[in-house]
Amino acid sequence: MTALSEPVTTGTRTLLSNGEALEEIVRPAEGLISRRIFSDTEVYGLEVEKIFGRGWFFVGHESEIPEPGDLVTRSVGMDPAILLRDDDGEIRVFLNSCRHRGMRVCRTDRENTSFLRCPYHGWAYRNNGELITAAAESHYGPGELEKEKLGLIPVAQLGSYHGLLFATWDPDAPALDDYLGNMKYYLDIIVNRTGGVRVVGTPQIWDVETSWKFATDNFTDNFHVFSAHHSLVELGMLPNDPDFAGHGTMVVAEEGHILHLTAGAPTDQYESMGLPHALRAKFPEHLDPDQVEMAKHVAYSAGTVWPNFHWLQLMGSGTIGQPDVPFLNLRLEVPISPTRTRMWSWLLIDNDADPEYLKSSYETYVRTFGPGGIFDQDDMENWEDCTRAALGPAAKRYTLHHKMGIGRPVDENWPGPGTAYQGSYGEMTQRSWYAAWLRFMTTGWAGQAGATSASIAGEGAK
Amino acid sequence: MTVLDDIRAEAGLPPVLPHTEAYGRVTEFLNYEAELLDSYRFGDWVGLFTDDVLYQMPVRTTQFLVDGEGFHEFDFFIDDHATLTTRVRRLETEFAWAETPPSRTRHFVSNLRLTRDEQSGDMAARLNFMITRTRQDLDYQLFTGVRHDRLVADGESFKIRRRVILVDQTVITATNLSVLF
Repeated sequence: MTALSEPVTTGTRTLLSNGEALEEIVRPAEGLISRRIFSDTEVYGLEVEKIFGRGWFFVGHESEIPEPGDLVTRSVGMDPAILLRDDDGEIRVFLNSCRHRGMRVCRTDRENTSFLRCPYHGWAYRNNGELITAAAESHYGPGELEKEKLGLIPVAQLGSYHGLLFATWDPDAPALDDYLGNMKYYLDIIVNRTGGVRVVGTPQIWDVETSWKFATDNFTDNFHVFSAHHSLVELGMLPNDPDFAGHGTMVVAEEGHILHLTAGAPTDQYESMGLPHALRAKFPEHLDPDQVEMAKHVAYSAGTVWPNFHWLQLMGSGTIGQPDVPFLNLRLEVPISPTRTRMWSWLLIDNDADPEYLKSSYETYVRTFGPGGIFDQDDMENWEDCTRAALGPAAKRYTLHHKMGIGRPVDENWPGPGTAYQGSYGEMTQRSWYAAWLRFMTTGWAGQAGATSASIAGEGAK
Repeated sequence: MTVLDDIRAEAGLPPVLPHTEAYGRVTEFLNYEAELLDSYRFGDWVGLFTDDVLYQMPVRTTQFLVDGEGFHEFDFFIDDHATLTTRVRRLETEFAWAETPPSRTRHFVSNLRLTRDEQSGDMAARLNFMITRTRQDLDYQLFTGVRHDRLVADGESFKIRRRVILVDQTVITATNLSVLF
């Protein structure tokens, strides 16, 4: 590594080459986040190693590869990966790169195959990763081709939570179950409330000229809705009330694992995430009574599994004057450069949903979210202009403002795990996210004292 | 995907050749439509669609040729007349930030091949499209693909009953899809 990407750690200070310490320019407990981290190539180089080489990353959902031989190409962190179900039915994730010259061995978005053959020299692998042939094997001398050691490179760990597949390149990362910690309680309400969900079709993918962090910041932000999506207020598709998205609870499940549970209008339509009653009726089979009661008061929920995976359980309409319909959207940001990010977006549906609800949920998602959605398209505009304005040396001397709700008391009566705050306008979830960012950037797993005990300024887990 | 089957069937209908009056009128109509879009006359534009219009842009994936065209039951757009009207009404507010201030677009249509459904009298237009977009001080974004329009006679002109937009990119390298196709 070059000096530019190798910070000097002195005591508790992690120094950048300009002499600034990350601990000074990113002060989550005070709500002060330097604009430098949103555009700086040195900071980005550190993120590549400290975050994307180590964390757990969403890869896809089991329903995307139902049959043996099914595969889809993805990223794990920032590395190209193949998610597949091998001929024995086992789910595996490999680096999409041949062991010989590193060529991508799979160059489609999806296929069904028992074998992966590299186009470059013809090395071929079984879909369990084993190298079958190096093509011109008679030309290798004794010991030159140790085939049993030259299988496709697997991820260090792969885990599933109710069908959500996560992987990490770090063998020292805590097990997925421990990594998710308290977040599992809330994930249950989203992906296991009716016994399971599945992916509809294929993800939408698009590239946005933004720091990946402006996108992550936005996915735990109710405050922006009234202004950023004001066109829909004008059309009567959102309430003409600046506080309308402010009624609910914000939860720091673990440091960096954060969510909003937001109430809608006080009518049956907006209870239990607006799901059809046939689906709501299944909640008690799969959730405990506290979760069912919690879900009853939720119309909208946005959650982030640190660092870059989100759910959006929302309601909306693509048509003026028509009733809101719910949908479940999963999002992932994959950085391409400090200022360019690949956005992935999946629609999920409860397995027990009837075809009529599936159709209306599908149409509502496509019309309102994703790159063509009448809500979502204005979000990307903000992330790009925030990023462009963070490029210059003057901007990099200043912080962003993340102070809302620093003094707000913890809700001691919250029945769920983690730390909860009443109200849905507040930046405690973002502050927790940046605290996790700073922790990843400046310490190893050993320095992180376990997922459940980390805390910042009283905003960590109970 | 049934709409893709419809498109394949239209290729086998009787052709309407260049230098015919019908071909000329369709060409003029398509150029007029492009001019409306590039002149921010969105209200006039949405008036060119029938009440039962389907306006659809499927998501494309990279696949081997033998596995098909790469469309997998998902869309970037699945609009009807009411949702297209909603998009236009949104653009007419002062707060549709993705287009406020507005993009400058140029809609290019070419390679028109036209067939006529003798039973319904509808015209089926297959054409290549290219849309350039720039906004503020930013570089160009480009959208290309094939469009399959189904046109019904409306006096001397036409209305659009179906538009299927087969975009070339699997990853849309643009901020968003806030421009109209």
